[in-house]
Amino acid sequence: MHHTQDKSSALGQGVIIFVFLGALTLLEYFIAVAVNNTPLLIVVAIVKAALVLYYYMHIGSLNDDDHGAGHESYAYKTGTDRLGLWLFLLSDAFVFLGLGVARFNLLGLTRPELAQLFGLFVTNVLLISSFSMNRAETLMAHGDTKGFMNWSLITMILGLGFFVGVVVIEWHTIPAIAEPVLILFGEHAGFVPLTASGTAMGAIFFMMTGMHAFHVLTGLALLQVVRSKAGKGYYSAEKHWGVEAATIYWHFVDVVWIFFYPALYLIGKLV
Amino acid sequence: MGGALFVTLMRWLLPIALPTVFSPMPLFDTQFFFREPAWLFGGLMGVLCFVWYHGVMDDWYQWARGIDTPEHHEDKPGIEKYFGPSLDHKVIGIQYTVTALALLVIGGTFALIFRTELAASRLQFLTLEFRLFEQNGLQLYNSLMSLHGMIMIVSILLGVAAMMNYLVPLLIGAHDMAFPRLNAFSFWVAPPAAILLVSALILGGFDTGWTGYPPLSAKAPLGIDMFFLGVFTAGWSSILGSLNLIATTLRMRAKGMTAFRMPIFVWASIATSLIALTATQLIGLSFQLVAFQRVLHMGFFDPDKGGNPVLFQHLFWFYSHPAVYVFILPGLGIVSELLPVFARKPLFGYKWIAMSSLAIALVGFVVWAHHMFTSGMNEYLRVPFMYSTLLVAIPTGVKFFSWVATIWGGKIDTPTPMLFVLGAIVVFLLGGITGPPNATVSVDLHLHDTYYVVGHFHDTLFGGFVFPFFAALYFWFPKATGKRMNETLGKIHFWLMTPAFLTLSFGMMRIGLLGMRRRIADYDPALGFDNMHLVLTISGFLIALSILIFFYNLVISIKRGEPATGNLWNSRSPEWQVVSPMPAHNYDVPFEVVGEPYDYGLAGSKYIEFITPKKK
Ligand SMILES: [Cu+2]
Repeated sequence: MHHTQDKSSALGQGVIIFVFLGALTLLEYFIAVAVNNTPLLIVVAIVKAALVLYYYMHIGSLNDDDHGAGHESYAYKTGTDRLGLWLFLLSDAFVFLGLGVARFNLLGLTRPELAQLFGLFVTNVLLISSFSMNRAETLMAHGDTKGFMNWSLITMILGLGFFVGVVVIEWHTIPAIAEPVLILFGEHAGFVPLTASGTAMGAIFFMMTGMHAFHVLTGLALLQVVRSKAGKGYYSAEKHWGVEAATIYWHFVDVVWIFFYPALYLIGKLV
Repeated sequence: MGGALFVTLMRWLLPIALPTVFSPMPLFDTQFFFREPAWLFGGLMGVLCFVWYHGVMDDWYQWARGIDTPEHHEDKPGIEKYFGPSLDHKVIGIQYTVTALALLVIGGTFALIFRTELAASRLQFLTLEFRLFEQNGLQLYNSLMSLHGMIMIVSILLGVAAMMNYLVPLLIGAHDMAFPRLNAFSFWVAPPAAILLVSALILGGFDTGWTGYPPLSAKAPLGIDMFFLGVFTAGWSSILGSLNLIATTLRMRAKGMTAFRMPIFVWASIATSLIALTATQLIGLSFQLVAFQRVLHMGFFDPDKGGNPVLFQHLFWFYSHPAVYVFILPGLGIVSELLPVFARKPLFGYKWIAMSSLAIALVGFVVWAHHMFTSGMNEYLRVPFMYSTLLVAIPTGVKFFSWVATIWGGKIDTPTPMLFVLGAIVVFLLGGITGPPNATVSVDLHLHDTYYVVGHFHDTLFGGFVFPFFAALYFWFPKATGKRMNETLGKIHFWLMTPAFLTLSFGMMRIGLLGMRRRIADYDPALGFDNMHLVLTISGFLIALSILIFFYNLVISIKRGEPATGNLWNSRSPEWQVVSPMPAHNYDVPFEVVGEPYDYGLAGSKYIEFITPKKK
C-alpha cells in the first residue's frame, strides 16, 4: 500500500501536481504558437507524462516490498494484480507507439488544420478529470466512500465531455452541433473538416483519436463498474484494489493524450 | 463416444458460426456474401460469443457485480475437464498442446497439397479449370500457401504457450499461474482464432502470402479479413499469456529460487514473453489498419491518398521478426534444460545462457528492416540493420558453445527425447549459419524471395521449435500421464523425420540459390528443377509419415503405455521429485531451493529440498 501520507497532504499533493500539469499544458501551447520547436514540445510532454506516472499512477508502488505479508495475503495479491495491470498497460502502450510512428511516417513535420482552441479545451477537460480521479482515489484510500462517489462522478462527467468533444464535435459527426461549437472556439466559417476516407492525414487523425476515444470509453465502463461496487460498500481503506486499478487505467488514458495532443495539434507546419 | 464428439463439435462451432453468419444477414439486399464490414464484425462477435458461451468469463462477470467467487475450482475427473474452462495450468497446457498439434496437421496438410502440385513443372491438378470455394487452382494454391504459413505460426505460438503453461509453474514451484482465469481466457480465444483462419480458405481465400502486404492485401478477397481477424485474436492469446507468465515468474517462485537459480527454460520463457507482450501489438495494428483501409477507405497505405505501403512493412516486421525469437527461444531453452540430464554433467555457462536469451530478445527488437532491403525503404537504413542483424549471431553462438561444452566428455545416453535435442542442435546450427547471407545486403538482393530463404527459415523453425517441442513431448509425457511413450516408435519417428527434413531444407536452399522463386505455383521446366522438386515433395511426405507414427505412438501410449510414475530420466528438476501424473494442485509439500539447478554428476549436491512441517 502506498498511502502512508495523511489525507490532507495527499490531497494537497494532487492539487500541486495538477497546477504543474495545467501550467505545462499552457506552456506547450505557447511554445507551439510562438516558436514551434518540436524537441521542446516532446520534452514538455515527457515531463507531463512523468508527473502523472509518478504522482497520479504511483508507479513506484510496483517496488513495494510485500513479501513479508505472505503469499496468500490481500497485500501480496494486490501487488501481483498491480504488476499484471502495468504489464497490460505496457503492452497497450505499443499500440499507441505504433500509431505515433505511423503519424510521423505519413505526415512528417506537417500537421492537419484543426480548431486549436478547441483542442486545448478538450485536453484540459481530460486533465481536470485526471485531477478529480486522483482526488477520488485518495479519498477512498482513506475510507471516504462518499467522497469517492462524488469525485468519481465528476471524473465520469468530464470523461464523457471529452469523448463527446472529440467524437461528436471534432469529428463533425453531427455537423449541426459541431460547426457552431467550433466557430465559437475561433474556427473560421466554411472550413473543410477532415474525413477518414479523404487523405492519409485524415485517416491517421481519425485512427489516433478513435483508438484513444475507445480507451476513454472502456475507462468509463471500468469506472462505472467500480462505482456501482463502491456504492454497495464493497471497498474500504485497506481493500480497494478495484478502485486503484480503474484509477491507474484512467490516468494511462490521459498519458496517451499527453503525447497525442501535441502530435496532432501542435507539432509541425500546417498544410 | 461418437455422440459426445458431435455434441462437443457443435458446442465449439455453433457459438462462433451463428454470429459470424447471421450478422451479415440484415444486409441481404445486395451482395450477401461480400458485405465486408458485417463479416468482420460478425467474426469478432463470433469470438466473443464463443468465449462467453464457454463460461470463461463467468467469474469476471460475477466480480464486476460485486459477488466474490472461490479462488480455485475443482475440475471434474477424467477427460471431460479438457473440454471445459478449467483453471488448472496443467489442463490448459494440454489443451494448448492438442490445439497446436491439430493446427500442425491442418497446416501440414495444406503444405502437402501444394507440395504435390510442385512435384513437377506445369500445372497438374491446381489448374485454371479446377474450381473449389470460388477459387481456381492458382488462387487456391495461393490461399493454401498463405494459410500454411500463418496456421503453422499460430500452431507454434500455441505450442510455445503449451510448454510455458505446463512447465513454468512446475519448475518454479507455484501452485498455478498468477491469473488462472486470464490463463483460461488466453487459451479459449485460440480455438476461434484457428477456426477463423481456416474459414479464410472457404470465404474466397487470399493471395498475399502470410505477410499480407498491401496493396495486394487491400484488394484481396474476403478471406483476408478472416485471416486478419484470426491473427488478431491469436495475438491476444499470445499477449495475455505472456503477461501471465511474467507475473507468475516474478511473483510466485519457490523459497530460495533467486534469479540465477531459476531453471534455464524459465529464463527463455521470460525473454519470449517480453517480446510477445509488446511487439505483438504491432502486427495486430498493422492488420487492423489494412482492414480499416478496406472497409472504411482510410488511406494509410494508399499512395493515391498520401499513404505509404512501406509503413505497413515496418509495423508488420517490428513484430514478425522478433516473433521468430518467440518461436525459438523456448525451444532452445528446452535444449539447454535437457542436455545436462542426458549428458550427466553440469550445464556449461549457465549465466551466459540465461543472459543470451535476453540478449537475443532485446537485439531482436532492432533488426526488423532486414526483411525490407528490396522494399524501397530509405537506403540509409540498410547498413545499420545489416549490422544489428549480424549481431544476433553472438548470443546465439554463446548457446552453441555452451551446448558443445556440456556434451564434451559427458556420459551420453540417447533415449528419444535426447535424440530430438541433438537433432535440434544440428538443424538449428544449419538454420543459424544460413542466416547471415540473408542479413548481408549485397547477398540478400540476390537471395530475397527465393527458396533459399524458405529453406533457411524452415531450418530455424524446425531446429528452434519442432525438434525441441517433440523432445519436450517425449520427455514430459510421463509427467502428464504416468506412462511413457514407446521408445522404438519414437526412434523411428526421429530417424525418419531428420534425414527427410535435412533433404528438404538443403534441397530448397540449393534450388533457391539457382534462382527458384518463392510462393509460385509453377516453374519453367527449362530451369531443370523438376528432379529436385520431386525429391522435396517425397521428403515432405516422409516427414508427414514420421508425424503420423508419432500420433500413433501418442494414442497407444495413452491407452497402454508402460507405467512410469517415478523419476524416469533421473532429473534434478523439482517436478520429477514427486509422483506422476502431477497432483491436482502441484506440490502437496512446498520445496526450497538449496543449490544449483544443473550440478549433474557432482557428489552430494542438491537442487531442492522439500520443506517438512516442523513438529511443535
Ligand atoms: Cu527477420
